[in-house]
Amino acid sequence: MIKFIAKGLYTTIQDEGRFGYRDIGVPYSGYMDKENAQIANLILDNPLNNSLIEATLIGPTIKFDKSAFICITGADFNPMLNDDKISLYTPIKVNKGDILKINNSSVGSRCYISIKGNINSDVILGSKSFYSQITKSIVIEKGDEFNFKVNNDEITYKYIHKKFKLDSIVEVLKGPEFECLSKESIDTLLNQEFSIGINNRMAYYLNEKIKDRVNSIISSGVIPGTVQLTPSGQIIILHRDCQTTGGYPRILQLNEKSLNNLAQLRTGDKMFFKLLDL
Amino acid sequence: MEFFNLNENSLLITWNSEINSSLTRLISSYKAEILSICKNDIQDCVQSISSILIIIDLNRISISEIVEKIKMIDYKKVNKNDRIKKVWEIPVCYDLEYATDINLISDKNNISVREIIDTHLSKTYDVLSMGFLPGFMYLGKTDKKLYCERKEKPSFKIRKGSIGLALDQTCIYPRQSPGGWNIIGVTPIELFNINSKNPCFSRPGDKIQFVEISKSEYKSFKNRLDKPKLKEL
Repeated sequence: MIKFIAKGLYTTIQDEGRFGYRDIGVPYSGYMDKENAQIANLILDNPLNNSLIEATLIGPTIKFDKSAFICITGADFNPMLNDDKISLYTPIKVNKGDILKINNSSVGSRCYISIKGNINSDVILGSKSFYSQITKSIVIEKGDEFNFKVNNDEITYKYIHKKFKLDSIVEVLKGPEFECLSKESIDTLLNQEFSIGINNRMAYYLNEKIKDRVNSIISSGVIPGTVQLTPSGQIIILHRDCQTTGGYPRILQLNEKSLNNLAQLRTGDKMFFKLLDL
Repeated sequence: MEFFNLNENSLLITWNSEINSSLTRLISSYKAEILSICKNDIQDCVQSISSILIIIDLNRISISEIVEKIKMIDYKKVNKNDRIKKVWEIPVCYDLEYATDINLISDKNNISVREIIDTHLSKTYDVLSMGFLPGFMYLGKTDKKLYCERKEKPSFKIRKGSIGLALDQTCIYPRQSPGGWNIIGVTPIELFNINSKNPCFSRPGDKIQFVEISKSEYKSFKNRLDKPKLKEL
């Protein structure tokens, strides 16, 4: 069993997500930074889409009541096991009674804590990923306990050439309503520097606005990575917990790589859009 | 029908014809037909008011292959739809405590609050699509007198059960959420129940009839998981 002694800022259980229910309005959810989450599973020989713990900016503190192998990936939160600093992107042996303190990140927003074996948590509509109105919990609270199946198989992992890195370039394709933008706004969008404003698992708001006053559209499908423009010129980039449809023009669409990278940007971070051809 | 590749594995099909009950039926039938011929190739298929968004399994099919399959569908076969339509009765409290934007619409559209309520109650609406949130229903069309733009700045917190107006549609928020619709009332009905085999009682193609209730009825109703009344057409 593991017990959360401190919950952190926004700590959740995530797996790949909840697929096949978007028609009744159920979001995908799932790992915000899918690439780093899957690497944490890969290093422990877990199934690629195993559930794990996602921490945001301020990490939780976890007590282990049985021994296990864990792996932490993503942003460096300066995690400590008891009093020792531990490495990322490598299997770490945790003993019964050990306390894992994730700490805080100074660069990047999210880290992933995978346990060799599997965390027990309710599977709802095919996924353990926390989401309001779907799972009982929205975030992990202080005192929460989770059982996990121990897997004592030998780890075959040798070495992974992975270092955490942030990119200020966000790669995009044209969205269905790209053509509603004026030449001037397209120029602003593709050449100006933007900065991250309010953000969460559902969406990232950008601080800089677009001059165009666009009209709403007839509500239509959106997916994580869809970039919306509101009538007031606000740019919103949808993320993993986003709604299934929306009524704002869809001006751009992020690719998977940039969606993972965006999950690691935080309020105030700078970014540029780079338009790709499909 | 227009096709647009949203990304590597997502295809958007849009219809540009007038929004009415027959377009809703046509899109519902297309969705059913697409799912029956490519079921295993499709991860998600999201029906909206005038579009379908298809997310495919790239291990099984490519965007160009699925476009070819969809183009082969016989329009006449699809245009016949014999689904039984249902009318759900949804109680609404229009009290000013919950109808936070009703005065705004009253001013903008030069129509009294009472007339907004009566106009809203005067029609039976089509469920045009579901989405935005689990159980969120887009209903249309509303009377011209109720036409309004979405709010320029979306609200961060809209009350669970809120009834909204935007463009020529009305909607119901199944949970507290941010959103851009103008709020004119609230329903005590539970719209999305995860413990049910079928979390949503309604599907696109069904109909909704609103019925006015008082503030005290809303409050006494509020903590019950009532399904709305159903009439078969």
